[in-house]
Amino acid sequence: MSAEGLLARRSLTRNRVRFAVSVGGVALALSLTLALDAIYAGVANQLTTYVDRAGADVWVGQAGVRNLHMVASWLPASVVEGVRAVPGVADATPILYSTDTISAGNERAVAYVVGLPADATMGGPWDVVEGSARVGRGEIIVDQGFARTAGVSIGDTVTALGRQARIVGLSQGTASLVNSVAFVSFDDFQAMRGGAPVVSFVLVKVAPAASSQAVAAAIGSEVPGVTAQTRSDFSTQERRLVMDMSADVISIINAVGFVVGLAVVALTVYVATLARRREYGVLKALGARNGVLYRVVLAQSFLSVAAGFLVGLAFTGLLAFVVARAGLNLELSISAASLIKVGLFSAVIAGLASILPIRQVSSVDPAVVFRRGAAA
Amino acid sequence: MSTLTLDVREVSKRFGDGETAVKAVDSVSLAVEPGEVVLIMGPSGSGKTTLLSMMGALLRPTGGTIHLDGTEISALTEGRLPDIRLRQFGFIFQDFNLLSALSVLENVAIVAELAGAGSRVARDKAAALLTELGLGERLDFLPEKLSGGEKQRVAIARALINDPALILADEPTANLDSKIGHEIMRLLRGIAKERGRSVVIVSHDQRIRDIADRVLWLEDGAFRDVVTMATDPVCEMAVERERAVRAERDGETYFFCSRGCRDEFLGGTLPDDSRHPRSEIAVR
Ligand SMILES: Nc1ncnc2c1ncn2[C@@H]1O[C@H](COP(=O)(O)OP(=O)(O)O)[C@@H](O)[C@H]1O
Ligand SMILES: [Mg+2]
Repeated sequence: MSAEGLLARRSLTRNRVRFAVSVGGVALALSLTLALDAIYAGVANQLTTYVDRAGADVWVGQAGVRNLHMVASWLPASVVEGVRAVPGVADATPILYSTDTISAGNERAVAYVVGLPADATMGGPWDVVEGSARVGRGEIIVDQGFARTAGVSIGDTVTALGRQARIVGLSQGTASLVNSVAFVSFDDFQAMRGGAPVVSFVLVKVAPAASSQAVAAAIGSEVPGVTAQTRSDFSTQERRLVMDMSADVISIINAVGFVVGLAVVALTVYVATLARRREYGVLKALGARNGVLYRVVLAQSFLSVAAGFLVGLAFTGLLAFVVARAGLNLELSISAASLIKVGLFSAVIAGLASILPIRQVSSVDPAVVFRRGAAA
Repeated sequence: MSTLTLDVREVSKRFGDGETAVKAVDSVSLAVEPGEVVLIMGPSGSGKTTLLSMMGALLRPTGGTIHLDGTEISALTEGRLPDIRLRQFGFIFQDFNLLSALSVLENVAIVAELAGAGSRVARDKAAALLTELGLGERLDFLPEKLSGGEKQRVAIARALINDPALILADEPTANLDSKIGHEIMRLLRGIAKERGRSVVIVSHDQRIRDIADRVLWLEDGAFRDVVTMATDPVCEMAVERERAVRAERDGETYFFCSRGCRDEFLGGTLPDDSRHPRSEIAVR
């Protein structure tokens, strides 16, 4: 180890309390940012689950509709044939879709309600844990988490879209922090909407040789009044929407984490430097150049921040594990982008925190060694 | 063996300006030869530390020059001084000034590392030197666990690790009891004689004079001649031996302020308390 590294490491570890405060403070500050990022990434994952799992390669909606959350998309039923006629389309299933509430007794919850045709090849539940995966008239499939909270099971009735429906199946993986997905029959949904011959989306499976991108583009140009997007584009739009909605909160928490982390490291490194001011003078008298001493200070900052980063990451990982076990409709997902962002944060914190201590060190006069004072 | 000579010429140091200016060192000259032990003594505030700091390139003179083997170190830029301090000087302080977070071994090895030695080499060299100084059992101790004498020996090892030409010590025995202080002084003398280093020691401790090759007396920032004083047995005035009127009686030499006192002394009888202790004090 270099002389600088040795000095930095020793001066950190010989004062355990100060080091613990420093590392703990940084860990706390950074895990604020890491955990929030992970929560939003988790929420975004959940919100796009239906889009990701419905089985469609291309989503066709009303012109201008680019995502699912809180939108209304209405197309004349005739577009389904138009879409089927486009080369490269292997299969097409229309669905009806609306954000609504479902209620059972006193329990009311927000849900994406999906109307499924009897012969649907896409858009239905992908993981039914109990009962049927098909819905007929007067029937409904709900998320098992919702059923548990509402205290209902197969055969019980719930209210959706203003009508009673009997639970025939319980699905899994169809709930997020915000809402769940419920499936009713296409005909029921259409009847509740006054029987107009409309669909919300046409879900498209492309032929094995065709590319989703090309088919989406072809549908967009050949079928009037629609916007067709590949699943991944549709999903990305959905994700961006969540991130845009949460951008302010994330910025604020990032700023708070940054400032707290910076304050903790800057203060502890400054205090550590001040406490060893005389020893920096001794090192200068012994012939250490200023550059060496600056590197000692920088190394202290970077070691503190790096340790804080690792502890913060471990803490966030633990939080994700606990949340996953807690049965909440919440998932924490630590992304590479978030790690890179927080890593850069950390480097900037360490650099900024070193500025004042470095100024301190640069002003130390080596002749202090001959002045009387407490020293080992 | 080093052949470097430190040559101090007409060096002055003034702190502050105008009314409040303090002339801590006033036109001092001195040359230190290899293998020589020079002791600079003087009362507190006489400028000893200031002079030593200038000799060690820690402080710039306001006047005069300091040459180290022909190089005028008092004129070097700030950027060149660390190397000189690192390789040419070894410092020893009253307060030891060990680095509290480092072990005994690390305190010594780090100075070798600063001079470019690899970690392994530096540690081996430090361990050998410390063992030679009787600290072989203390290598992994923290300074706080050592006695004063042990700390000063660590400081001596640290001062020697880069084979400097000069050892500069400021009151090295002031925080040690007299027995340990003497041991440290003998150690420093040994280093000068066996390793051919020059050793400059600043102290106001009279008890360590005997280890020096040369004793210089600093007062009010300038060297004074060391003169030997005696007391006139008649009028009891302090007189300089070299300038006094003298007389022999019963194999003893006596010193007088004037012929009058001598004549009175030789004419009368010797008082019982005539053998006044001779003191050595400095006068102008
Ligand atoms: N950095 C300084 N600033 C101002 N005055 C100083 C400084 N260092 C020393 N002095 C003054 O210079 C004089 C000599 O001090 P010093 O060299 O420490 O004497 P000594 O070591 O013989 O006790 C004293 O009057 C002291 O107050
Ligand atoms: Mg002094």
